[in-house]
Amino acid sequence: MPEPILVLENVTKNFGGLTAVNEVSFQVRPKEIMGLIGPNGAGKTTLFNVISGYYAPSRGKVLFRGKDIGGKTPYALAGRGIGRTFQVVKPFPGLSVLENVIIASFLRHPKRARAEEHAWKILEFTELADRAHQSASSLTLAGRKRLEIGKALALEPTFLLLDEVVAGLNPTEVDHTIELILKLRDQGITILIVEHIMRVIMRISDRLVVLNFGQKIAEGPPGEVAKDPGVVEAYLGVEKA
Amino acid sequence: MRDRRLAGCVLAFAATLLVPAVVHDTFLLRVFTEAVMWIGLAVTFDVLAGYAGYLNFGHSAFFGIGAYTTAILMVRAGWHFAPAAAAGGAAAGLGALVAGFPTLRLKGAYFAIATWALARAIQQIVLMMDITGGPDGMRLPALLSPRFFYYVMLGVASVTFFAYWFLLERAPFGLKLKAVREDEQGAKALGLNPTKLKIQAFILSAVPTGIIGGVFAYWVTFIDPASTLGDLVSDQALVMVVFGGMGTLIGPVIGAVLIFAFKTLFWAYLSDYEVLYLIILGAVIAGSVVFLPDGVLGMLPRRKEAGNRA
Repeated sequence: MPEPILVLENVTKNFGGLTAVNEVSFQVRPKEIMGLIGPNGAGKTTLFNVISGYYAPSRGKVLFRGKDIGGKTPYALAGRGIGRTFQVVKPFPGLSVLENVIIASFLRHPKRARAEEHAWKILEFTELADRAHQSASSLTLAGRKRLEIGKALALEPTFLLLDEVVAGLNPTEVDHTIELILKLRDQGITILIVEHIMRVIMRISDRLVVLNFGQKIAEGPPGEVAKDPGVVEAYLGVEKA
Repeated sequence: MRDRRLAGCVLAFAATLLVPAVVHDTFLLRVFTEAVMWIGLAVTFDVLAGYAGYLNFGHSAFFGIGAYTTAILMVRAGWHFAPAAAAGGAAAGLGALVAGFPTLRLKGAYFAIATWALARAIQQIVLMMDITGGPDGMRLPALLSPRFFYYVMLGVASVTFFAYWFLLERAPFGLKLKAVREDEQGAKALGLNPTKLKIQAFILSAVPTGIIGGVFAYWVTFIDPASTLGDLVSDQALVMVVFGGMGTLIGPVIGAVLIFAFKTLFWAYLSDYEVLYLIILGAVIAGSVVFLPDGVLGMLPRRKEAGNRA
């Protein structure tokens, strides 16, 4: 067993009286794709925000490569190798696609010329190079989601959090994005992905964690999790006999 | 394209160097000096307004702090002008550092209100203090050399302009600042510390403004809280920036020249219709906001960005 890259130990996040994430523990191993699923409001995005530094955990520990990162700022965590995308994509709309990626590239390439060179590589990889000089706001949803991934990649992360990068895309675009994600895994990036589309999550995840009402209700390979009675109940409701 | 614009700026700068050789009339040279001053104040205002997205209605406070620091050091401590004006810039920068932490957390109108209130507070404090002369203001030793002040003002404004050009258009700093302007939360995920960047921008805006205030104090030889700490500096700079083109360096220069020329001509020929001035100015601003969102600069034909840096 290789050392896990991310360890959550009883992570809890309260907002006032509301417990959005409740005593969640799991581990992510290097170079795997871990899927995080659950019904709406299960606490997936909150958990993402805790891991990426947007929220400090109320209780519990988040260990990244063995170090406690609970309460560290998002920009410090980006420096340590955690990249993330946002469910509601956050392009810099007034800037060009290229400029968007250059800004992310500054993290590892502080010199402007080197950052730009690096940004072009990312744009080639995400197939956005032909739109480099367009403003980011002119991209289609699929394009903006790809830009979101591109920006996270420009940080040269070892660990990538993808928040619903497929939702809202048409089937061709979905396949395209799946290919992209699998390529990233092959490059050695560990991925934690939140996704609603089951077809996608079942296909690309090595393992799954299921949240419901802020609690972990299942964990394991996709095939097993899909048959778990608790998971079926959470998704479909209980049939009263 | 950018390099050509920079070349244009260098040419324009070279032309302004020759102004005192051509203009011998003292009054006219004063007009040119003031025009250069407003260019400086508009450009410094735009660092925060255009690049960082914060409308600073306390810009006058930096100007006033610089003016008063310079005056106090020259009159009460016997300093020479140059170190006193530099200290004025430093004091304004320090003010930005202190004021930035609480105010830069605010957004939009709230930031504008907070900075406006802060500037009013500073004005009241200056009115009450003995060292500043209170409402009577301060008189500085007179140096009757219009050329000297023209060149000093031009020196400060152009060093500021070209330093900004390098920092905001060439170095990564400008793009990072724009990222924070566009989406602060998104910028954080990319390794940017928004608080740090905004404070840096605030200081970058404040220091030259303070120095310009110091030069102004020595130039006009008399300052009081109304002339240096009133709303005029902030309001006029805002108008120039909006009219010229926000978020660029050339826009505020164009705006400052046009608005200041209009103001000067108006006062020279139509001063009987004083009330019209503000009405016209207001109409121009309202019109430019509605019809020219990118200012006068936005009207100029722009070559396609494509291929620009490929």
